[in-house]
Amino acid sequence: MEPDVNIIYNVFHAPPLEFPIAIYFYLTGLSAGSFLLSTLAYGFGLKKFKPIGLLGVRMAIVLLILAPINLIVDLEQPMRFWHLFPYLNMKSPITYGTFLLSLYPLNAIIYSYFMGKGNMKMTKIFGFIGIPLAISVHGYTGFILALSKARALWNTALMPVLFLISAMVSGIAMMMIAIAIKQKYFAEDKHVHDDLIKDMGQILSVTIFFDLFLILCDLLVLQTADTEAHHSAMLILTGDFSLLFLWIEVVLGSLIPLIFLNIPAFKKKIGFAVTAAVLVMIGILAMRYVMVIGGQSIPLS
Amino acid sequence: MSEIRWGMLVDLRRCIGCHTCTIACKCEFAVPLGGNKTWVKTIEKGQFPNVSRSFLPSFCNNCENPICVRNCPTQATFKRADGIVMQDPHRCIGCKYCMASCPYDVRYVDPLKKVVQKCTWCHHRLDAGVEPACVGSCPSSALIFGDVNDPESKISKMLSANAIQVLKTDKDTHPHVFYVAADEVVMRATGGANRKEKPVWWKWLLGGLLFNKKEE
Repeated sequence: MEPDVNIIYNVFHAPPLEFPIAIYFYLTGLSAGSFLLSTLAYGFGLKKFKPIGLLGVRMAIVLLILAPINLIVDLEQPMRFWHLFPYLNMKSPITYGTFLLSLYPLNAIIYSYFMGKGNMKMTKIFGFIGIPLAISVHGYTGFILALSKARALWNTALMPVLFLISAMVSGIAMMMIAIAIKQKYFAEDKHVHDDLIKDMGQILSVTIFFDLFLILCDLLVLQTADTEAHHSAMLILTGDFSLLFLWIEVVLGSLIPLIFLNIPAFKKKIGFAVTAAVLVMIGILAMRYVMVIGGQSIPLS
Repeated sequence: MSEIRWGMLVDLRRCIGCHTCTIACKCEFAVPLGGNKTWVKTIEKGQFPNVSRSFLPSFCNNCENPICVRNCPTQATFKRADGIVMQDPHRCIGCKYCMASCPYDVRYVDPLKKVVQKCTWCHHRLDAGVEPACVGSCPSSALIFGDVNDPESKISKMLSANAIQVLKTDKDTHPHVFYVAADEVVMRATGGANRKEKPVWWKWLLGGLLFNKKEE
């Protein structure tokens, strides 16, 4: 039997990564997702996605300018952020981010410039340059968590993939909401984009399925790995973060949207698709919170 | 092997849990409230009448393979040739990624300097030929400090002659704080009664009516 252990005195230091980091992950995810969606029309030539091309890349730029502000505000020495360039350490995942967060918005601005000008050839070139950038700008955030090996919830090779897929999920959902607002308030014909929203809903439900599958993989392995991993699995299944994880992320953010997007009775109505998109966005925000804050709630010392 | 590689050995058979090392460290560096470069964990095991109490002095392990050095984006934390993991307060931008990476929770943000700080085994004293403040102040000589590469040093002899444990071997960090006579349960015990739980916002929202059971 395990002996009773009672820790009378110990020292703990404040959790290093706070809410701004979760918000940063959320915003880059949205940005990468909406950029990739915009290249569907202009990079891959899928005509029906043309209306979201320009809107997608503009949102990607705005979000990716907002996202690093969270990072700089979170620094203890915000005025020293330039140290990241001259004193870089190539082994650190934050260094990957330094370059990606500089190159990706630049590329997106050039891409949107040519798109606005109607120069299809250059748009396609910069779209294709942007795809690996968008994938890595969010994939690297997964590496930030995965490579800090102190925490069992983070230290998994699934993390970059999980972050990428959840970026796609939240990015598509945000574009659905954006298009719905656009047609409701800024278009002559109030139903001009109905089919587009339904199509995006179909892509969304596929990505949600994939996201749920990855979460399942992650949880099953966490459950059967070492003690710490088991503790963190129980933390999000039955512990302090179970409401956020099980109910908000999985049920509200994934299962209910799947019902809305796939049951024929709901499928016909645009309202349900947009509601599903809103729920998905809430669910992914909860996922970022559970990952960043939940991961640190297990004491290390 | 002629190069110096510093190491710390904690003889738990001798530790009396007086916290003098904590105080010596606080004085040496004027460590403000909220941070600790060293502290003594106090752990009780068993149930009355079969109980024991253990002390576990905790320091930065100055690992051979430090994850904080790998992950620091500005090279503000680096490993010296003698094995000490240093923290440059002028280079540090306070991204706290090293704190997130460290498996031992020994790094903290200095609330006054606004940079990350850590135990460096009193490198300034070592450079002047003096032992670290905690080692010098330990009244029961439980802390033994020296060059682990020198076979004639006291620490090398102790390391060869005793059963040694280090913290969290599975993290592949190769810590250089060694413990003699450490209990397995004591070595992996984490948490504690004085840990301030962050209020969980949704529990607060629901007034603790639905979720008042304490999760261990």
